[in-house]
Parts: sequence; structure tokens; C-alpha cells
Amino acid sequence: MVKFLKPGKAVILLQGRFAGRKAVIVRVFEEGTRDRPYGHCLVAGLAKYPKKVIRKDSAKKTAKKSRVKCFLKLVNFTHLMPTRYTLDVDLKEVASGPDALATRDKKVAACKTAKERLEERFKTGKNRWFFTKLRF
Amino acid sequence: MLQKKSTDNINNKLQLVMKSGKYTLGYKTVLRTLRNSKAKLVIISNNCPPLRKSEIEYYAMLAKVTVHHFHGNNVDLGTACGKYFRVCCLSIIDPGDSDIIKTTGEQ
Repeated sequence: MVKFLKPGKAVILLQGRFAGRKAVIVRVFEEGTRDRPYGHCLVAGLAKYPKKVIRKDSAKKTAKKSRVKCFLKLVNFTHLMPTRYTLDVDLKEVASGPDALATRDKKVAACKTAKERLEERFKTGKNRWFFTKLRF
Repeated sequence: MLQKKSTDNINNKLQLVMKSGKYTLGYKTVLRTLRNSKAKLVIISNNCPPLRKSEIEYYAMLAKVTVHHFHGNNVDLGTACGKYFRVCCLSIIDPGDSDIIKTTGEQ
């Protein structure tokens, strides 16, 4: 009886191009909107996970391997698998308004900020589960 | 002896819920009620496929909802609900006059 689909929750996408990818809920639309009359949420996820960094990598190589490709998507709740993990990354600017994904350039800008946030979180070494690829 | 009595009890309580309370039957709606935190109790039959059972239990763990494993298969659970079809899992939204939630919560 506790709502668990809240911003900051780590989820796994089950359907679509990004099936099997981990994502974090940015914004929840409980009752849906006019265009999407079902419960859905805006998620920011990892299209490309950062690669495994080993000790003998040079600084340049580490920087290259720690890069992350991000995606933003409006996903139906039924196409998500919630997990017990959370990721408290400040993605408020990403979820600015209901039109954060309206036009292409807005979406690209939002994706860029999400990418920066996720990359800096990866570099701190926290939330390691989130940045490892799910093997299936 | 005691086990027989408790399964009987559950059946009676379920009957009362069917009459006076709100419930949904079936996997899809059970997940939906768990997601929007309307479910108060989830009952799963014993022949539920293990992946589906784990999934429902995981959702219920996140939502802090008790899961009751019914001592019977989906045919028996359907009969216990007074339906003529099989019910693998069901979710109780509002128990009505029944105290099923309190008693299974204690167990």
C-alpha cells in the first residue's frame, strides 16, 4: 500500500528498443495525460552503459570508457519492472515541464543534461548496480 | 486438523469479500493494483508459475502488501471466489465486512 513508482526509483525497461536497460524515474504521470490516458512516467536511462575500467587504463582511456549514452522516454508503467534500488540524481531540469520532450531540440538538450548528471554520478563510484549492464 | 480449519477460514473470508468487498482477479489487474497502491492483500494459488509468483511477491515487497499463498491450485481458488473459471492470483482492494486482512496479516 506504499507507492513505489516515485521519482528516483531505478527501473528496468521491459519493452521497446531499450528493453533490458536500466533507467531512473524522473517524473510520474499517475493518471495519464490527454495524449496518453494511462499511467506512465518519464524515465532517463542508459542507452549505452559505461565500459569496464581497469587499473592500467590511462586517464584518456578512463575518460573514454566512462562515457554514457542516455535516453529519455515516456514509458507505460506496465512496460517497467521496478526494483528496490533508487538513484537520487538531481534531474529536475530534465523534467522541467510537460513539454520537456515536445520538440526535438528540447529533447536533445534535456538528454545532454541527463547524460552529464549520470556520468558524474558514475565517476563517484556510487550506485554501482545501476551502471552495470543487466545480463540476460 | 488445524490446517484444515485455517483453509476453511480463508475460504469463508474470501466468500465474504466477494459479497461485500472490492477485489480484482488476474495477474494483470493484480500488478495494476499493486502499482497504484490500491491492493491491501494479494492471494496467489499454489500452481502459479514460479516466475510470476516471484514477480508478484517482489511488487508486493515494494508496496509493503502481504501475500497469502493459497493452499490450493487456481481451480480451487476460482471455486473459493465463487467463480466458474480458474483464478491464479487475486488482489483485495477493499475487504468490506471481512476481517481477512487482519487475520492474514497476523499469520
